[in-house]
Amino acid sequence: MKILAIDTSCDETSVAVTSNDNIISNKISSQIEIHKKWGGVVPSIARRMHEENIDLVVKETLAGAKVKLSDINVFAVTKGPGLSIALEVGIKKIKELAKEYNKPVVAVNHMEGHIYSALSHNKNGNPKIKYAFPFLALLVSGGHTEIVLVKEFGKYEILGRTLDDAVGEAYDKVARMLELGYPGGPMIEKLAKSGDATRFPLPVPMTKTRTTDMSYSGLKTAVLYLTQKVFTEDLKPKEKTQIIYDISASFQKSAIDALMIKTKIALEDIAKEYKVKDLILAGGVSANMTLRKKFRSTFGKNYRIHFPTDKKLFGDNAGMIGVAAYHNALRNNFVDIESLTRDPNLSL
Amino acid sequence: MFKIIKIKSTPEKEIIKEAVKILKNNGLIIFPTETLYGIGASATSKVAIDKLLKYKARREGKPLSIAVDSLEMAEKYVEVNKIARNLYSNFLPGPLTVVSKSLGKVAKGIESETGTLGIRIPDYKLVTDIVKAFGKPITATSANASYKKHPYSIDDILNNISTKQKDLIGLILDAGQLPKRESSTVVDTTLNEEIVLRQGNIKLTKLLEKNTNSPEETQALGIEIFNKYKNYLGYKSIIFALQGELGAGKTEMTKGIARVLGIQNTINSPTFIIEKEYKIETVPDSFLSEQKPIFYHIDTWRLSDKTELEEIGFFEKIEKNNVFAIEWANKFTELFDQIKNDAVIIWVKIEHQKEETSRAITISDYSL
Repeated sequence: MKILAIDTSCDETSVAVTSNDNIISNKISSQIEIHKKWGGVVPSIARRMHEENIDLVVKETLAGAKVKLSDINVFAVTKGPGLSIALEVGIKKIKELAKEYNKPVVAVNHMEGHIYSALSHNKNGNPKIKYAFPFLALLVSGGHTEIVLVKEFGKYEILGRTLDDAVGEAYDKVARMLELGYPGGPMIEKLAKSGDATRFPLPVPMTKTRTTDMSYSGLKTAVLYLTQKVFTEDLKPKEKTQIIYDISASFQKSAIDALMIKTKIALEDIAKEYKVKDLILAGGVSANMTLRKKFRSTFGKNYRIHFPTDKKLFGDNAGMIGVAAYHNALRNNFVDIESLTRDPNLSL
Repeated sequence: MFKIIKIKSTPEKEIIKEAVKILKNNGLIIFPTETLYGIGASATSKVAIDKLLKYKARREGKPLSIAVDSLEMAEKYVEVNKIARNLYSNFLPGPLTVVSKSLGKVAKGIESETGTLGIRIPDYKLVTDIVKAFGKPITATSANASYKKHPYSIDDILNNISTKQKDLIGLILDAGQLPKRESSTVVDTTLNEEIVLRQGNIKLTKLLEKNTNSPEETQALGIEIFNKYKNYLGYKSIIFALQGELGAGKTEMTKGIARVLGIQNTINSPTFIIEKEYKIETVPDSFLSEQKPIFYHIDTWRLSDKTELEEIGFFEKIEKNNVFAIEWANKFTELFDQIKNDAVIIWVKIEHQKEETSRAITISDYSL
């Protein structure tokens, strides 16, 4: 089953061609020379930007997959969650194509896409993945932090989520406090490697009570007060550099520890009766290698661990949407083209 | 045909002399860095940059970064703000590309579409010495043709390019096999450069000053403030313009407002997505219009100017008598001044106090 999928949930205009759960071609606007910018750094949220990009990205994707629009069996698009005005661009385009080629449409939940980023194969069908329902997914990004129990395809239960900031956002904001620029994730991860996490211990959020919900706002504020305390005028340059390393390390430790603790609680308290064997970690922040290592060392003994199967699948992309759409199409989850509309608050 | 110099067996002076000669003639040099092999062309020469772009063949949607030898040289080409200065003084030289606002002194094709420029100071003395001797920045993009293998050895490069591409190279500085390190981390320092409190220009009436001692109290104050304006609900747009530093409690205040509006959803941060919308459940009985108002929680943290607010449809939404909580509203103070007659605008300023959990909150509006 050949699917053409579009994702315009936020910053990126992305289009993919998939064949069953194999991703044949997966293009993201920031990786194509359309607008010359520092990749994904400055948000181009505008409808105009997506509108300008979409036709070219569709064209490049088809060329990359060596298929024609007439070869496509199903069209798929992200319906939400996301920014309304951005989602609309993808939906409009998919409606246009589906009508022109008279093919059915699948509307995909973007978060469902992230789950399937860890269960996708490349065009040669690699890697081989063994997994079984039910499983647990920890989804971490700039906009989301949630623990999802996947009972079977399409049956989701959110076991825990952030009550305020997403973990990726906390990285960005802490980077701002340390005056490190944007985006904060890769930079903090890098600096943390030279830091001592025990020098300025920070609280692990929401661990006083046994809950699966998370919060990163308090941790962010704790870093703020810490910076006000330790960055004194009389610091020697080398001391300042070391403090930045150390705060990066302790922030990252608390941020990651919270994810591990919450996932553990979800597994022990709620998911126990489901006999979960597989764990997925996905979403933009799963690009953080320290997090992936910690996830594997914490859970690898008792569970099969799955990460996005390609670098391109960490962040927002249409490849994962195409694979999720394939599973929907197998179950005849097609939508009425006329009434299809964006749902910016869509939840699993 | 290019010349290859083995770095180990050649005196540094001679290498620098040869490299500078090529650069002056608008030629391309391939050089080692602490990350991978880079390709350098004079960043101020159009001829040299055109040659480089030809070499790279198909460009990714990424601008070229340039190498300088010092902060002093960087300052001639970009505006070095506070964040950039912090990065230069703590982490450079090193595997980091610092993006700043360009002063427009480099050749066309190097800057990003938005007029920013990425700068490296490689942690590789030979390279900074060449730049110093040349007296001007050179490009520091990776030496592979676009989409090809990351170059850790000269063979990685030469085995993956065409004869035509080879002909464009002037000089190769061969340091053998480089240790496999990741490419440099790119950080943009131009976003949220400074949150300027520009409220001085507009006239506001201070209505309330109150200290809160916990996030819950901040939420409760949100409820209290909303109740003062609830009669406008459905008849005029109500905008809560929130200002306060990171971690001040802007989202807590928003949670309070959402609660009075009968919204059951978890109100979490809209920073990444820019805007979140919620159906308002409590609408006055007298409200007749078919379309119920919507509560928009907007965060302008990632926006750089007010036209971006326009592009998410902000003005159309104001016409429809909705409720808004806008974080970092002070970034666009003038905009609110312009729309003050079309909507009820309440400025909420939240300031940190010495005590970690306490906040001083000031409420003002345009009623004079």
